[in-house]
Amino acid sequence: MEMLYHQFKRRVFGMAHRIVGPNDAEEVAQEVFVRVFRGLAAFRGDSALSTWIYRLTVNASLSHLARRGRRQEISDDNLPEVPATPEPERDPGLAARIEACLQQLPAGYRAILVLHDVEGLSHEECAAILECRVGTCKSQLHKARARMRDLLGPMGVAK
Amino acid sequence: MTCEKIREQLTAYLDGELEGDRGTPVRGHLRTCAACRQVATDEAALRDGLRALPPLDPPPSLWAGVQAQLAAAEVRESQRPAWRRALSRWAPLAPRFGMVLGACAAATVLLAWRAHRHEETAAPSLAQQTPATQHTPVAPPPPAPAPPPAPVVAPAGDVSADLAAEPARISGDSAQAATALLATARAEIAAWPADRKQAFEARLSELTAAADAAAEGRPKQRAYRDLIRYLQNAAIREEVALR
Repeated sequence: MEMLYHQFKRRVFGMAHRIVGPNDAEEVAQEVFVRVFRGLAAFRGDSALSTWIYRLTVNASLSHLARRGRRQEISDDNLPEVPATPEPERDPGLAARIEACLQQLPAGYRAILVLHDVEGLSHEECAAILECRVGTCKSQLHKARARMRDLLGPMGVAK
Repeated sequence: MTCEKIREQLTAYLDGELEGDRGTPVRGHLRTCAACRQVATDEAALRDGLRALPPLDPPPSLWAGVQAQLAAAEVRESQRPAWRRALSRWAPLAPRFGMVLGACAAATVLLAWRAHRHEETAAPSLAQQTPATQHTPVAPPPPAPAPPPAPVVAPAGDVSADLAAEPARISGDSAQAATALLATARAEIAAWPADRKQAFEARLSELTAAADAAAEGRPKQRAYRDLIRYLQNAAIREEVALR
């Protein structure tokens, strides 16, 4: 049991942290591991163990956000002010800005960005975790990245 | 291709999903369109930035919290009655049991239906054979041991007639139930305000007309079911609410 915890702790905590934010990440990760260990006996192996655990993580995170009442969609009219770096050469604070902007995204977009871009899962894996079609996954990722670009403003790297 | 179309494909292009010729229009457009090139550069930088985000180490208290919650759950579990523990152990298998039971029920219905059809087809052939054997002039049969008594088969016509009369009988019962309920409902609605009474009468005439107009069989049964449900809601709920 402890081995399983150590194998997945970073990913589960990282996903929860980036979807629900730093304050509630531990609570959500704890809930996920309790569900994993209590449900392990009933796990039927319909999907990979990792897919099942990530699905529990995403579902627990989204449910937590729903309970917290923070799942409001951000319309184009009320995009938050995120300071853009005027210097286009190199952006050493990019990671921090990305983390901050992630928290401004709608929860669904956050989930797909975390799964695909941060955790590096394939579209097929993301679709299995989010229980949607691969095509839906791709279009959600496209929209999520576009929204992130809007939030970040001009990027200062890779130029 | 327009910039809009190109931008729709940018994510797939940057992620290497447009192989070979499929990526050529995007590549060509990016060489000539500075605005789209900027968008592509930004998206690639964003993707790389997301990929480069450092893994996050959970606090040490997480494992302790998980263990504490599991222990608390175990204590709660041990305090539950044994039958509830057994029930929760079997609960995950309930859908499978349901499927098996459903399959058994379907098989039983199918077998019963086939047996019924077999009886129906067997009955007329017996009826046809019997007169033919009577009219054939034959020598008196040699004394033989008495044949075993033939199974008694009900004439097919009786069953069919009964089945055919079934929908009318059900409709009749439903009409009687509706009439009885209507009497109760009318007693109840006597005390209702006028506008509510009017709405009740309007809906009642609508449902009654639908029941009268519906074809015999399932449509009529459905129409009566709606009417009866409405009357039950109007009369019985009101009665319960007033108690």
